[in-house]
Amino acid sequence: MKIKMKKEKIVMAVTIGIACFALMLVMFMQFKVVRQTDITAIEDMRESDLRVELSEWNQKYEELNAQYEDVMSKISEYQTEQESDEKTAQLLETELEQLNEALGMTNVEGEGIIIVLEDKGGTQLSDGETVKSINIEDLLIIVNDLFAAGAEAISVNDQRIVAMSDIFNIGSGDNSFIRVNGERITSPYIIKAIGNQNYLESAVIGKGGRVDVLKGLGHEATIEKSNKKIEIEKYNGTISTKYLN
Amino acid sequence: MNNKMMISIILGFMCLLLTYGIAIQVKTTNNLGTTTSSNATENKLRDAVLKAKEKYDNLYNDLEEAEKKLEEERANATQNNSELAELESSIQEGNKAAGLSEVTGDGLVITLNDNQKISASSYLGDPNELLVHYTDVIRVVNELKNAGAQAISVNDQRIVSTSSIECVGTVITVNGEKIGMPITIKAIGLQERLINVDRQNGYVMILRENYGIVADVEKKENITIPKYTGVIKFQYAESK
Repeated sequence: MKIKMKKEKIVMAVTIGIACFALMLVMFMQFKVVRQTDITAIEDMRESDLRVELSEWNQKYEELNAQYEDVMSKISEYQTEQESDEKTAQLLETELEQLNEALGMTNVEGEGIIIVLEDKGGTQLSDGETVKSINIEDLLIIVNDLFAAGAEAISVNDQRIVAMSDIFNIGSGDNSFIRVNGERITSPYIIKAIGNQNYLESAVIGKGGRVDVLKGLGHEATIEKSNKKIEIEKYNGTISTKYLN
Repeated sequence: MNNKMMISIILGFMCLLLTYGIAIQVKTTNNLGTTTSSNATENKLRDAVLKAKEKYDNLYNDLEEAEKKLEEERANATQNNSELAELESSIQEGNKAAGLSEVTGDGLVITLNDNQKISASSYLGDPNELLVHYTDVIRVVNELKNAGAQAISVNDQRIVSTSSIECVGTVITVNGEKIGMPITIKAIGLQERLINVDRQNGYVMILRENYGIVADVEKKENITIPKYTGVIKFQYAESK
């Protein structure tokens, strides 16, 4: 009887041992599979990114292709008009005009928005805080974010923003003022931008939008989205290329 | 009798667990099948992106050649007439200023990078202060413009009239292209004036001394700044 008991115990232990082993094996496999599934889940998230990237490349291709066709047609025009100085001069003038457009050296008009910021710096708020003045970083960020939203031309208090335009703070404290293109500007700051009205507006409002941030700080800010075309003046300085070879 | 029952109960319990495990296993494997198929569409997409990029690159090379050809034709058509030659050279200068051609010259190279000495976890202040933000890049570029730069690039992205510097998640983009650390800002101009960006209490010095951000300023000769790789074309703005 005693021996039989032992035998039964051994059988039981072995059976349970095998079962446990099998179970562990399955679970181990399970963990491994689950871990792999997690990785594919992350890759899955990239699918939408890939779609965005694909459409971006296609759009860039279209833009480049238009540019390419433009250059090709200019080449053939120069070739056919080579004998006539008058016609060549016309071609050169057309090219210069296009170039001046890209440089910000032409007056432009079109759909867009006008942002008016009135600096309320120094005003005492009900909670005892003083409103901090609108600074150059605010203006730099607004201009930058408008370009990011596809703005084609921007001016700040009628100073056209070109490639090498700066927005700079001169002096310090109460005596400081802001210069754009080296010209002093004062509040109200009027920022005009030409481009898709909705894109432009959404770049500066909402969460993190600098115009709304400034409103939240106590400044007065309005965005004008009229049906009328906005006019932006050309850059009235000279663009030097003295140091560029 | 008691023992036998014990064994069958334990075995039964084991079998239940085992079945449960297997059931989960089968289910996960089934799910895996579907992710594998979406993996396939993803691979297709990745393929399509690569192809689109290649197509773009090919066209870009063609465009570069066409632009060279255009310059030749232009020079050809204007070589015998000094008035025309003058127009031709103003196109060349205009292209340099607009960022539409590569330029070389003397200037400055500024390198920006996150604070390398202090780890974010041991920093008592806001660890964000140790990082280079897109606003810092905008500010430094603005400083260079103020100091008379005539051409600027940020990690070889040329700054043109419609350029923007953005932040997408934790990545900084210039002209819509992602750039990584360290950030190399090149500027061509009069060196004696450009070096003014490294002045006392200037933005560059504040970055370096208050936040320990790497902001190396170096004078350099014969800097090459590439041309803008995008297209400046207006849809909304019309010249008057």
